[in-house]
Amino acid sequence: MTDTILQTAPGKTSDTAEIVLSVQNLSTEFHSKKGIVRAVDGMSFDLRKREILAIVGESGSGKSVTSLSIMGLLPHPAGRIADGRVLFEGRDLGQLSDRDMRKIRGTGLAMIFQEPLTSLNPVLPIGRQMTEGIMQHLGLGLAEARERAIEMMRSVSIPAPEARLKDFPHQYSGGMLQRIMIAIAMSCDPRILIADEPTTALDVTIQAQILDLMRTLRDRTGASIVLITHDMGVVAELADRVIVMYCGRKVEEGLVEKVFHRPRHPYTLGLLGSLPILGQAGAVGDTELTEIPGVVPSLDALPPGCRFSERCGFATDRCRAEDPPFEEAAPGHFTACWHSDQLERAAR
Amino acid sequence: MARFLVHRLFAAVLTIFVTTIAVSMLIHLVPGDPVQIMYAQSQGTTPEELDAVRERLGLDRPLVEQYISYLGRTLRGDLGVTIRGEQPVLELLLARLPNTLILAASALFIASIIGLSFGFVAAYKRGTWLDTTLMTTAILGVSMPHFWLGLILLFYFAVQLGWFPVAGSGFPNLVLPAMTLGLTNAAIIARLTRSSMIDIFDQDFVRTAHAKGLPKAVVLYRHALRAGLVPIVTMMGLQFTYMMGGAIVVENVFGWNGVGRMAIQAIFQRDYPLIQGFILMFAIVVVLVSIMMDVVYVLLDPRIRH
Amino acid sequence: MQERLKSAVNLATAASDVAPSRSALGRRTLALFSAVTANRGARVGLLLVLTLVIAAVFAPWIAPYGPSQMGAGMSLTPPSADHWFGTDEFGRDMFSRVVHGARLTIQVGLIAVGISLTVGTLTGLVAGYAGGWTERILMRLVDVVFSFTETLIALAAVAVLGPSLTNAMVAVGIAAIPFYARVAYSVTLVERNRAYFDAAYVAGAGHFRLVFIHLLPNILPPLIVVATLGVSSAVLAAAGLSFLGLGAQPPSPEWGAMLSAARDYFTQAPWIMIYPGLAIMVTVLAFNLLGDGIREALDPRQKARQ
Repeated sequence: MTDTILQTAPGKTSDTAEIVLSVQNLSTEFHSKKGIVRAVDGMSFDLRKREILAIVGESGSGKSVTSLSIMGLLPHPAGRIADGRVLFEGRDLGQLSDRDMRKIRGTGLAMIFQEPLTSLNPVLPIGRQMTEGIMQHLGLGLAEARERAIEMMRSVSIPAPEARLKDFPHQYSGGMLQRIMIAIAMSCDPRILIADEPTTALDVTIQAQILDLMRTLRDRTGASIVLITHDMGVVAELADRVIVMYCGRKVEEGLVEKVFHRPRHPYTLGLLGSLPILGQAGAVGDTELTEIPGVVPSLDALPPGCRFSERCGFATDRCRAEDPPFEEAAPGHFTACWHSDQLERAAR
Repeated sequence: MARFLVHRLFAAVLTIFVTTIAVSMLIHLVPGDPVQIMYAQSQGTTPEELDAVRERLGLDRPLVEQYISYLGRTLRGDLGVTIRGEQPVLELLLARLPNTLILAASALFIASIIGLSFGFVAAYKRGTWLDTTLMTTAILGVSMPHFWLGLILLFYFAVQLGWFPVAGSGFPNLVLPAMTLGLTNAAIIARLTRSSMIDIFDQDFVRTAHAKGLPKAVVLYRHALRAGLVPIVTMMGLQFTYMMGGAIVVENVFGWNGVGRMAIQAIFQRDYPLIQGFILMFAIVVVLVSIMMDVVYVLLDPRIRH
Repeated sequence: MQERLKSAVNLATAASDVAPSRSALGRRTLALFSAVTANRGARVGLLLVLTLVIAAVFAPWIAPYGPSQMGAGMSLTPPSADHWFGTDEFGRDMFSRVVHGARLTIQVGLIAVGISLTVGTLTGLVAGYAGGWTERILMRLVDVVFSFTETLIALAAVAVLGPSLTNAMVAVGIAAIPFYARVAYSVTLVERNRAYFDAAYVAGAGHFRLVFIHLLPNILPPLIVVATLGVSSAVLAAAGLSFLGLGAQPPSPEWGAMLSAARDYFTQAPWIMIYPGLAIMVTVLAFNLLGDGIREALDPRQKARQ
């Protein structure tokens, strides 16, 4: 496993590829009775063509809110983009009308979610849920849309797709449903697929199949993928580049092999520490399966200085007083930590 | 699915069975001598005549025997004759039942249209002034007694404006009672629809539908409303039952010639055969409606169907 | 009704989640109270209920005339400084009658809900505790009775008992028993699975001790909360029976009976119909608002939605 982590992912993108999505200084706020909390705070990143970018963090880190902000699917009226912008192929999505945004969803940006069973309508047959988007965006008639749906189902390896069109979601298994979700998302050839914890609800064996399917689809269609996950194993398996988020901010960003080889933020180190290492998993005594101490602080009670300082083994007085800037620590490798240089010695 | 329907059918038969027991024993629960109470209002009934009635009703025989003979007669469609006038109970009830069903059905129609749309809009506009206004109206409606709303409508639309007749049983007479019954129940349906739709709007699959880039109307109707209809339609069946109950009161306000009005008169006259017949008939209507609703439920929800 | 039942069960389980130990009863009540009063509607409801109670307790001091005092003013005079709500056909002061009516309404609420709460709780508790055939038969029976509307059950009960206000209260109380039985049953099932119950069982507590010392105190708080909600439907139902002439009889200042009497003159003197109806509606509204507030305060799902 350690070897595969360091191995370069196939179909890796070059730095010069066209930028399809650019998130610039995005801040998203939620209004509640208690007041306003900022779930995403000044998030920026670029996504290139064919690239698989992972955004990783614990729950509450703002990774899912980032994806919903991009899609324009924030819960209404509680959530709202307070600052920054999202450029899709150069167009500012915040400036688009509701109608134009709906045209981009499905064809430009498509999304799949964590729970395939609840993410599909229980009272509509799968076929209908597949064809409706195809008919909407590609302007096909029902018969053609059906053909396209069957073709898509075949491409995600659903056996006997013709027969299964009339089935309802509860008649499928979880892994098959996630394949359906992917088929629906890819059916109108989107430029970008946003996958929010696509394998979390699935069995481990199915997880690998789904990740494999996503990579195959990327290679075949040339779409880019934003992969939202809390699981470093999934990142290692699939992503080219990774952004680590904590409390609504980026704390580390870089190519997967670099970040895994030499993490420059203690939080990343912690996330990698909680990654079970294959072959050692049985031997409890000498595994390095460590948990990050403490819990994610509530967004309305953030500590002063570095947001991770309360849980960090390296924290000094400076960390508790001053917020570290997000800077380039090595070429193409960014982090927000006062002690990123010292981490080398601690890294395994 | 078959198991579900068989189970419900069994429950329905059981309900009717329990009702026949309760109805046949009803007369024995009356404190004192029921026959004397029944005839207390008519002067000059001789003791011999009372004995004849006792004999006819079989009140002096053992309870089990009484029940068996009651059940036998009922199954043959013989619900006895009224105390006053000695008319066949079944005939009287069947003559008036359509009026009550028409009233309840029109009320359900009004209530559904208003209740569904108000509840849907309130859920969609959750947290806005529109939601607050609609839901304040709804809780006022829920708290409004049928009979009072009936009197107010009667006063304003029939007496003041003269748009509708004050009493009678033609179509123009139907409007006010149906509105009375419909409006108060619309409030209940609106509240249920709102909470049910709010649950639906928060569901992942609605978000998926938006993520697919479908037009808003398609998301709202094909996805949200279609899924929200399952619990709402189930509750419509219950609503019809409440409308039947409410009709008893409303018929009396407007002099609508249905079974409810007849039942109240029967209670005043202590006409037990008629009361018994009314209760049994009501139970049968309730059971039939609930079976119909079960079938609709099965048709609407694929999770039950398979 | 379905909504009421579902939320009552949610509420009941939520309420027992708040703090399952008896020692915390005071703290729990206090916490509940402050949570409820945080809700605007509930504050209005509470205020209205207090007004009703004050009106009932101090009726003889608040009302300028006796409830049945004829000739307090001219016959059928419109509302004025002397007679705030006008006078009826006998020249009785409507304001005084409405205020005195509050006493009867409170009585109806307490007695009717008392009956349904006591019998319903025992039924549900025994069914939930005993399990097996007792559970199956009892709850099936409850389901059967529940499928009729409360109106029909109340009518049947009045038909047996004969028309009077007391009988109407009893009838309304009986009609709601299945509802409370279902709530009590669901809460009992929840409580049965808690650690303290297992502990008591393992310690060798007898049936009586398990049911009355361990289960009852723990299922009671949520049931009492549900009963507050029940007051509104009890008041509405009893007023309906009186309106039909099956409850309170003239010259009783019961609001439903007053409305019934108003039917002969309300075309000339609408105020004799307006105020008693308004009083019923405000009372029902008060308990509905209070009930909604309590439900929102206790139901974590509702809270999350806001």
